Amino acid sequence: MPKRPRRDPEPGEFEDPLSNYDPPEYGDDLERSLLTDNIGVFRTTPIATIPPSATIHTAMKMMDELGVACLMVVAGEHLMGVFSERDVLNRVADDYDKLRDRPVSEVMTVDPSCVHDTASPAKALNLMAVGGFRHVPILSADEKLVGVLGPRRVISYIQKHFDKETA
Amino acid sequence: MGLRQDILREPVSELVLRELIALKPGDTVRRAVAKMREKKLGCVVVVDADGRPLGKFTERLLIKLLLAGPQRLEEPVASHMAAVWGTIKLTDPIAKAIRVMQDKSLRFLIVLESDGRAVGLTGQRGLMEYIADHFPRAVKGQTMDSKLYMDQREGA
Repeated sequence: MPKRPRRDPEPGEFEDPLSNYDPPEYGDDLERSLLTDNIGVFRTTPIATIPPSATIHTAMKMMDELGVACLMVVAGEHLMGVFSERDVLNRVADDYDKLRDRPVSEVMTVDPSCVHDTASPAKALNLMAVGGFRHVPILSADEKLVGVLGPRRVISYIQKHFDKETA
Repeated sequence: MGLRQDILREPVSELVLRELIALKPGDTVRRAVAKMREKKLGCVVVVDADGRPLGKFTERLLIKLLLAGPQRLEEPVASHMAAVWGTIKLTDPIAKAIRVMQDKSLRFLIVLESDGRAVGLTGQRGLMEYIADHFPRAVKGQTMDSKLYMDQREGA
């Protein structure tokens, strides 16, 4: 549609508030998806969870067996904290013998940054790239844990975009 | 230009590179752990006398090692490293880095100069930052809290 020429309104004249509005333009489908879709476009499950009372040893064994870098520490459906490989490196490695039978809640990262399941991918990417968090828990509107997004899931989503178009 | 085109076209040198922590095969695992913690990086690379990579030691391997017995922290890192790693050239397109990481399930890639010398590391984090930089307004303008609603009505 050709753009109408713009002119400043006369004093007192009605001005369409949207007359200066240019709809956003996206370079391609991937860009449009990351900016306008819901975070649900990524795979956000399964979630590896553990209760706060579990021992650090149990948590590490679980991470090793499942091949995951991070566990969500949950009481019922509510997120209490996150226990990740980085917590092992920073807080457990030097004193493993002393800490192995302590509860994971003592060394987990409490009050992690989360996003809601209504958020856009851009919000989760912000937490990852700017906040530096590798794993972002996803909560429902009633604050229950419903998913987790990590870099591997973001990368496989991007890869899928390439596969789809080259197939 | 769209993100997809940029990923296909732009070279790995556009990604944020991290400093490569190089250790000698005889260094202890404990030293590797201290270095990783100091540099806030999940991976060290074990190199030979000429600087060629022999293997890598990661946070994941650290968990395996602790489970097997923490006294192993005093053993040489070479006996606990993984001999698989991914490399990518500075001039390769970012799309290739994504594919290598995805195909080999890797978190880090060693970035090489055209003469084969390792110049740094990149990986998942570098890629997340690249995407964020691509949408400065949309991604970086987000708030980092997780509130669904404002505490007060706007303007109230």
